[in-house]
Amino acid sequence: MIIQRFKLLRKTCIGLGALASAIALPLTPVQAAGDLLVAPTRVVIDGQRGTEVILNNIGSETATYRISLELRRMTAEGNLEDVSEEQENEIEQAAKAMIRYAPRRVTLPPNQPQAIRLGVRAPEGLPDGEYRAHLLFRAIPAARSVTEQNIPEGGFSIALTPIYGVTIPVIIRQGNLEATAAIANGRLEKKTDGEALTFDLNRSGDRSIYGEIRVIKPGLSEPVMVARGIAVYPEVNQRKVVLPVPPEVAAQLKGNVSVEYYEPANAGGGLIAKTDMVLR
Amino acid sequence: MSKFIKAALASSVLAASVMGANAANAATASADARANILQQVTVTSDGSDLDFGTIVSGAAASTVSVSGGGRSCGAGIVCSGAFSAAGFDVTGTDGETVSVASDPSVTLNSGTNSMTANIVSSVSTMTLTGGVGSFNVGGLLNVGANQADGAYVGTFNVTVNYN
Repeated sequence: MIIQRFKLLRKTCIGLGALASAIALPLTPVQAAGDLLVAPTRVVIDGQRGTEVILNNIGSETATYRISLELRRMTAEGNLEDVSEEQENEIEQAAKAMIRYAPRRVTLPPNQPQAIRLGVRAPEGLPDGEYRAHLLFRAIPAARSVTEQNIPEGGFSIALTPIYGVTIPVIIRQGNLEATAAIANGRLEKKTDGEALTFDLNRSGDRSIYGEIRVIKPGLSEPVMVARGIAVYPEVNQRKVVLPVPPEVAAQLKGNVSVEYYEPANAGGGLIAKTDMVLR
Repeated sequence: MSKFIKAALASSVLAASVMGANAANAATASADARANILQQVTVTSDGSDLDFGTIVSGAAASTVSVSGGGRSCGAGIVCSGAFSAAGFDVTGTDGETVSVASDPSVTLNSGTNSMTANIVSSVSTMTLTGGVGSFNVGGLLNVGANQADGAYVGTFNVTVNYN
């Protein structure tokens, strides 16, 4: 029995895909649906004021996108895991219930941005705390045409279509919340593809912390490494951070370094935590 | 690539608002100017799908796996033809750390017949060095003994998660 290779969906994407699509042998008219741009990459809502998120179709074909609210939980490893409906806890359910957003489905021609409006309606007597859900943007794959489904006699085809997208956190803070962080257990770990700077980020308080890690070498004015977008969410008190070290930086990291955790510039840019360590 | 990022930045994520303050008296006036530059993320398919290539199945159940590194065929299966892992490119802020998640497995159906494939992403977290990153998604296809003919189709989810 023969399985014949039969590619049902082909994609190209502007610019980025030019080279790759040449390799992917586009024997049939190419079809790109689903490439997307989302901005900003994080939303924090204090109080009742809403905001908006921009979704842009950066593919070469008209595409339909679905916007949905999902729940994710941070693991001790720092990954974000899906939360199924049975696993939802009260805080997560409250977050989903109070976030309003529209539109939830939008069809966009190439290079057409669309603002997704976000608002919060907090129920009366909502306990103080941080509430969070993740807004998922993804394209609905185009239906395959009949001709593409024809298969040769006596064989079979396999078509695995990826549905790809982006999630960004939407965070609602109710009341006066505080949090602090500490860095511990810094070390260089050998991985299959090089070294990684690994440490634990400890969090205490009643909200998440978010910011960027800078690794400072005494005597150098510029950080030798910067990693942005590192959060510790309230469901964990400690997470591991694993930062792959580029080979050209590896030698520089050895010895005394200072690992510093800063708030993002648009949140004041203040120092959250700082630890000196010796790496070997 | 960098041209592309600049174009995207210029065209779509500039939300600007200018607020004029009312003049308190005729002699002095003040105004606040505000421009809000938003951080952005893009996710694009690099043009390759998850493709197991041409497979000749055997009398016993076996597996075929495809990753960015290559293809490996289980006992009793003959593989030929081009194959590929699905590839994706991500752009964003320089140094941004993002996590990547995919469905663990997918069922491919053809009428009443089915096969399953396990989905494996090449990374679970990555740093956008220079504002760019890429990853691929491969799989392990479980081919049954004398797998029935048909057009097997399935979809799987891949998401780039921002902290």
